[in-house]
Amino acid sequence: MDFSTLTLEIGAAALALILLVVGLFLPDGKKGQVGIVAALGFAFLLVLSFLAPGSKGPFFMGQYMNDGISVLFKQIFILGSLLVTLMSLRFTRRFEDARGEFYVLLAFSLVGMMGMAGATDFLTLYIALELMSIPLVVLTAFEKGSMRSTEAGMKYVLLGAMSSAILLFGLSFLYGAAGSFGYGAVMAALTGGQTGPLVVIGGIFALAGLAFKVAAVPFHMWSPDIYEGAPVPVTAFLAVASKAAGFAALLRFFPVVLVPLGLGMTTLIVLIAALSMVLGNLTAIPQTNIKRMLAWSSIAHAGYMLLGVMVASFAGAAALVYYLLVYLFANVGAFAAVTAWSELSGSDEISSFKGMWKKSPLISTVFIVSLLSLAGIPPAAGFIGKFFLFVEVAHKGYLWLVALALVMSVVSLYYYVSVIKTLVSEAPEGETSKADIPLALRAVMLVSAVSTVVLGVLPGPVMGYIRNILSTLSS
Amino acid sequence: MAKEFGTLFLFLAGGFVLSLVIVFVNWLLRPRNPSSAKARTYECGLETEGPTWVQFKISYYLYALIFVVFDVEVVFLYPWASSFKSAGLVPFVEMAIFIGVLALGIWFAWKKGAFEWN
Repeated sequence: MDFSTLTLEIGAAALALILLVVGLFLPDGKKGQVGIVAALGFAFLLVLSFLAPGSKGPFFMGQYMNDGISVLFKQIFILGSLLVTLMSLRFTRRFEDARGEFYVLLAFSLVGMMGMAGATDFLTLYIALELMSIPLVVLTAFEKGSMRSTEAGMKYVLLGAMSSAILLFGLSFLYGAAGSFGYGAVMAALTGGQTGPLVVIGGIFALAGLAFKVAAVPFHMWSPDIYEGAPVPVTAFLAVASKAAGFAALLRFFPVVLVPLGLGMTTLIVLIAALSMVLGNLTAIPQTNIKRMLAWSSIAHAGYMLLGVMVASFAGAAALVYYLLVYLFANVGAFAAVTAWSELSGSDEISSFKGMWKKSPLISTVFIVSLLSLAGIPPAAGFIGKFFLFVEVAHKGYLWLVALALVMSVVSLYYYVSVIKTLVSEAPEGETSKADIPLALRAVMLVSAVSTVVLGVLPGPVMGYIRNILSTLSS
Repeated sequence: MAKEFGTLFLFLAGGFVLSLVIVFVNWLLRPRNPSSAKARTYECGLETEGPTWVQFKISYYLYALIFVVFDVEVVFLYPWASSFKSAGLVPFVEMAIFIGVLALGIWFAWKKGAFEWN
């Protein structure tokens, strides 16, 4: 066994334990410094992921895999954790006694996400999934005094348990058919003629369990409530990293059932994707709370990204990873702007955005760039991300799906632009207190906005890097 | 094989029939004088004192959680201990890390005041 395969996972787990100890040693008033240590740790892991992503190949008798896809996804998770940590440095003041644990839980969740990207075995997948979800539940309910936060945590725990049960139920059928937990063995057994109604049920149930994690229609009901109730940085983490982890697991799992179950499975994914795009975008229009609106928009984006899973090819995976990166920067930018603004105005209703441009041009600029990227307007990266993705779908021959996605992008333009319209409009009264934005939050906003523009104008280098990693590290 | 399972089935059917016969015979022989005391819920033969929905102290769950830490520790320690001599150095280091992580958990609980009862 070559433990260097797990360099990043071991690093993340060690970081979580270090943060726990650091939090114990710091006196009560200074627990916030755990956040700084966490940010440094995540930055170190990010550098490590480029310099030494661990030796490629299977680990522990084929239960785990470190290849191009998992390295790219791990980089996305680490980047997401880093940005969310920086975003929340000031925000966590309100958690007082549990301020240090916020970052510890973030780091443990990161370990689970990495596991989901690498799992090539049902049991490993399930354990990684729970390791990701349980800290996320605690983080969702972190505002102890807030009814909404507690309610969101309760909903997450119940619905998450239900989706886990559905996933396990499906996996048990696949295990019954193949007699093995390993992806490779299951795939071999299923393609070798072991198909029947029970295998179909197993595939569908497992798919439903994973679709819950990426919040695709019809398994999306949890996300608007939980996104609204959770503290803003946690919402950003849920929308970005947790969703990416779901896609990492889907990208690995989907081929296992794709070949034996064939066209039916593809049709199912296409159906889920189309429903997510339509329902997500249409329901986002009447929302009055920005977190709820972003939740519905993230459901729509899950629909776009599912198309990348459906393509099931090298180029499709590359386009999906690029889209996830673009989506990460756009969402982190938007949520960082919401964090900064809600500290300022104490509200995250869209109607409270009036006069934002006058009060803080920085927040407004970042917000506008992020929203334009989510909508897919050319100078921002969302356009090129969608372009890569839709080209692959068109290659696959699903022209009607591309047409639907384009129409829905136009629909989405309406609600993104109406938020922009609100924030440039005049404030009702003329009070102008200067915006006081913490340095780290400012840095996160700038980094997201600049990256969004750069990824949109110069997609070549990053796409080249993604393709390169995918091809050199893949077996 | 069918014959062996046939025997099993005979036993099963016999069990069913016998229980039905016992219930039927009891119904035939029993005296019939119902009273309100007989219709009441049987609670260890005693009337309940006060409301039955009692609140337990929430601190109990902390003890349950910490118990799980020790429980898991033993589950993994036992197979390792039983093959300690043949296992060698690598599992020893692995177990040391494992126990270290669990000890960290207990230390954390201690520092957070989970063992204080108030």
